[in-house]
Amino acid sequence: MDMREGPERIFDSVATVAEAVDARAAGAAVLAGGTWIMRDPRRGVALPERIVALSKIAELQRVDVLDDRVSIGAAVTHAGLAQAINGLAGLEGLAAAATGAANPAIRRVATVGGNLCTLDFAAADLVPALLALDAQVELMVADGGRILPISTFLAERAVLLKTALLTRVIVPRAATASAHVRLPLRKAGDYPVAIVSVARASGGAIRVAVGSVEPVARRWTALEDELSGKAVTPEETQALAEKTNDFMGRDGIEAEGWYRREVLPALVRRAFAALQKGGAA
Amino acid sequence: MTVTFQLNGDRCRFHDDPMTPLLDVLRQEKFLTGAKAVCREGFCGACTVHVDGEPVMSCLKPVGLVSGCSVTTIEGLSSGDQTLHPLQAAFEAADVVQCGMCFPGMVMSLSAFVRDNPEATRPEIKTAMSGNICRCTGYERIIDAVADHLEAQKSGRQAKETAHV
Amino acid sequence: MSETLSETAPELSATVMDLPRRDARDKLRGRTRYTVDRVRPDMLHAVLLRSNVPAGRIVKLDVEAARNAPGVRAIATGHDAPGLYGIGIADHPLLAIDTVRYHGEPIIAIAAETEAEARAALALVELEIEPLAPVLTMAEALAKNARLVHEGWRDYEVLTEGGAREGNIAWEARTTRGDVDAAFARPDVKIVETTIRVGRQSHAPFEPRTAIGSWENGRAHIETSTQVPWTVRNVTGRVLQLPPGRVRVTVPPVGGGFGLKFDATIEPITALLARMTGRTVVIENTRQEEMATCLCRENAEILIRSAVTADGEIAGREAVVLMDCGAYGGEQIFLSTMTAHTLGGNYRVGAMRLVSRAVYTNTPPNGAFRACNGVYNTFALERHTDEICQALGFDPLAFRKKNVLGDGDLGATGQVFEGDVLGPMLERMDGLRAVTGTAEDKADGRLYGRATTVGTWFVFVGPSAATINMNADGSATLVTSGVEIGSGTMMQSLPQIVAGQLGLTPDQVVVREADTDSAGLDVGVGGGRTTVSIGAASIGAADEVRNKLFGFASELLQTRPEELELVGGRVAIKGRPGSGIAISTVVQHAQTVSGPITGTGSFTGKPVPSMSGCAFGHMIEALEIPVFVVHEAEVAVDPDTGHVEVLAYRVVQDVGRALNRRAIMGQIQGGVVQGLGYALHEAVTISVDGRIREDGFETYRLPLAGDVVPVVADLYEGAPSSGPLGTKGAGEVPILGVAAAIGCAVANATGKQVRELPLTPPRVLGLLKGRETAPEFPHIAASFEANTLA
Repeated sequence: MDMREGPERIFDSVATVAEAVDARAAGAAVLAGGTWIMRDPRRGVALPERIVALSKIAELQRVDVLDDRVSIGAAVTHAGLAQAINGLAGLEGLAAAATGAANPAIRRVATVGGNLCTLDFAAADLVPALLALDAQVELMVADGGRILPISTFLAERAVLLKTALLTRVIVPRAATASAHVRLPLRKAGDYPVAIVSVARASGGAIRVAVGSVEPVARRWTALEDELSGKAVTPEETQALAEKTNDFMGRDGIEAEGWYRREVLPALVRRAFAALQKGGAA
Repeated sequence: MTVTFQLNGDRCRFHDDPMTPLLDVLRQEKFLTGAKAVCREGFCGACTVHVDGEPVMSCLKPVGLVSGCSVTTIEGLSSGDQTLHPLQAAFEAADVVQCGMCFPGMVMSLSAFVRDNPEATRPEIKTAMSGNICRCTGYERIIDAVADHLEAQKSGRQAKETAHV
Repeated sequence: MSETLSETAPELSATVMDLPRRDARDKLRGRTRYTVDRVRPDMLHAVLLRSNVPAGRIVKLDVEAARNAPGVRAIATGHDAPGLYGIGIADHPLLAIDTVRYHGEPIIAIAAETEAEARAALALVELEIEPLAPVLTMAEALAKNARLVHEGWRDYEVLTEGGAREGNIAWEARTTRGDVDAAFARPDVKIVETTIRVGRQSHAPFEPRTAIGSWENGRAHIETSTQVPWTVRNVTGRVLQLPPGRVRVTVPPVGGGFGLKFDATIEPITALLARMTGRTVVIENTRQEEMATCLCRENAEILIRSAVTADGEIAGREAVVLMDCGAYGGEQIFLSTMTAHTLGGNYRVGAMRLVSRAVYTNTPPNGAFRACNGVYNTFALERHTDEICQALGFDPLAFRKKNVLGDGDLGATGQVFEGDVLGPMLERMDGLRAVTGTAEDKADGRLYGRATTVGTWFVFVGPSAATINMNADGSATLVTSGVEIGSGTMMQSLPQIVAGQLGLTPDQVVVREADTDSAGLDVGVGGGRTTVSIGAASIGAADEVRNKLFGFASELLQTRPEELELVGGRVAIKGRPGSGIAISTVVQHAQTVSGPITGTGSFTGKPVPSMSGCAFGHMIEALEIPVFVVHEAEVAVDPDTGHVEVLAYRVVQDVGRALNRRAIMGQIQGGVVQGLGYALHEAVTISVDGRIREDGFETYRLPLAGDVVPVVADLYEGAPSSGPLGTKGAGEVPILGVAAAIGCAVANATGKQVRELPLTPPRVLGLLKGRETAPEFPHIAASFEANTLA
């Protein structure tokens, strides 16, 4: 492979967030773990001419576990996240998402930020888990940072990420238990065709998020409304999920839309069964 | 751009596109063809190498990201006339190999796994292999060999402990 | 068992062993150089411009700009290699000329100093294709007034006579034995009909097809990852219009084949470009190209109908099998033969007629894949058998025990089967199950199903040659055109066989890598034939060596040759191990007296009789060495998601004679898991523009460690075999019965008729929810005769 043709690619491996933001403003594409962007040539997409690598920015590699929240640097890997939050009450679903995604070698490299910022990646595991936990994300631009709810970020990320760098994810420790149920077509190793993440807040409020079924993960508010204030068995949640199933499954080579939609109520039942047992799944 | 890293213990310089996959640097520049380019998408594991002791897929690793790192390939795991890594020896003894293309990656992946998980169970070994595909063997004999290797290591440790008492 | 063995065949005691593989250590250390590892910086890299439409006419092809691009050394078009090749029918150009027939078909090849330069030049080619309405399915191809994939089909050279052909039917093979109409008209029969549809399977060998061509002393030399060096030699000669003797093919260790590498594809292009440039040229398929142009196991559509009495006698059977050969006939022409032996196998049937048709479509050509044709025909036959049992109220296992082929029973072509094999094997499966127990308790609330199925396969014998050169140190060098594709035949079976014949240890037998310049004709590694055919040729060579050793030793020892034997590296006096003289001494003596000791052997299968007038268009009318299997699967089906988990898998396999039990067990585990992939996970689908959609490992789901179980196997020895030392091929057949056993077990678990593969979670959930209906084939006529060209 001879790359000597054409102008040399600019590759900045910066040490600070400020430098990364500057490079971003100058048009550099962000390189974190690289597991998605390195497949661009396979998709027929040329690699960016200008790159800023985050791997040397120490603060983006940190997970800070505080009493009321956990702050996760954007360049923390799936494996690093799983290790840092293993055993933390309420974050079982996020830990399961970080532990179950892809395969071990990818989890060692692929980052939280990459999972959230890859626009075409419908099957991202962390996204529904973070939605269920009502996480926030921190974005940095040249004139400072802002923190916004993950649902807002997901809705606007295509525009936001044109200029901003995602630096942190903040997960409030408001949940008493959470669970993450993913459905790959094999036992493991492929992208899940549907994901259900649920979390119960200390006041009993339930959040349900669904990934991989539609192009972008979202909360299942119709189901949350039905569940509001009720004590229900996992079987009853399945029935409610059937009643409120308002998802439009996306067609893909691996599975058609009907299938992704059809399996959701059973996944909801499993997620609530796991929640009853204290999370994970 | 020039990228400098340790490769199997030696200093290695690469002067070209930093987005070149580490795999291509190994195979095409250094003629270390043990790591195989099979799927090039991070699903098969045949290109697994150790970066700072951790197994990663070299097909998805831009060489620019290994600047200053230590890279070990299958050629560096037991080089020259050195004895085989015990896991390689276990695979050889159990007649595990068929076409052999997946094994350099399988060895690099599982050698780190057995190092970090000396008490691993059979299901845990299987889970650890979800990123290493083998098209020939049907896996089970590989899993047997890993389990036997862990068992042997364990009895070796116990024997040592007993000897110390 | 071993006692009787050594009594009947004393040489076996020195042959049967769990010899480890000599290539394992280098493979484990990453030192083995497969073809793909032999690329050097001084080679030219060639890339192919491929069609991006499934059907069309080339109206403009201008390569001038590409020719002048940096680094470009040569550009080849179809006009540079005008010869057509094929199996049975020469219908396939090396590079498309004027007409393109599938998405991905190569049109030109560019050789440049680097791959990047070659790709850059590719972008400068001006290519215009006027699209034609593609014929993407067999239903479209067989429709009235369908566009012909090959307008000039009548003009093609026929390489093998006998098959009926017309329009989009590339080849038709037909058998008739007995009066089927009368059987179906009997008043005491019930008629059961089953329709089956299966998709393609992609081999996904880890080493993609890669070839390195050079031009040496006026001849082509191709180093390539192939199973068939002689086919590559002959096809290259054909398309380049050279005498095949001007092509030399050598084969480094092959990183997986499974049948994909049973045909020539890119190899002749490297020879062509080497001739044009005088340089060494490499072509390595990218994974995407490899999968998008994979010569897959073909998709097929099957209608099978049987007339069965209330007593469970199968009075009559008829079937139509449509095999999609894709844009060119290729292997499917030959494989149409196999229906008679697979769908027509397993059971004693009163009267039977079968037709199998290889059908042209504008899709990537299909090819050979481990137990070709047999895998889906066994699935169809076994599902049909279970549907018969359901319709007539028979116990499926008892029905099989009653009806499986036994001694003296007739096959579809009138072949007479020898020995009772399947019946005792079914009993052995009962025994195996009694030992292992069943796994129903692991179903854990899911739908549980178990099924026991049978299968008939064969060893594809064919010609092989072997030479043994004795060395002064007493070792032997075995020279053949055999290729090590991973199964271990060249690394284990052959050294064991030769060592056993010559009284050596296997490590004293050097095995030469295949080189068409140094060894005689061989039809290649496939059909489970290497141990049998090359093994027999090697035994022939060893016989000659042995006679020469005895001749010299007889003089030296003053003993008659009949009193000598080869044992422990010595020519010894029979019954007195350690006596006599070292083989090395005899070899050295011979070298000074009359020259080195060598031996040669050749082998080909002997024709087995079939009934005259039964088979039309068949390249094999009867099975030389039949091979039987019994497979049993236990599954749990998740009613919420359609996931099928295999809980247990058991095999009883007819191996003739097991020379290396451990190696055979490895083949069984690997073959069954490949079959599980076919049955459950691996889907190949064709897009509306004729493309294979699953062109990478993200979408093409190979089984992973978590998806498999340890296969428990019992090796059935002693069935009749004309193979050397009573062996049969053991590497190909393990995949044969898997889709059948899994399909029947899923049907038993769900209570639904399973008629399509693969049984992915969406398909199984679709079955459970009533979304899946039985396939209907309007292009298969109700009357059998209307489905034949006869």
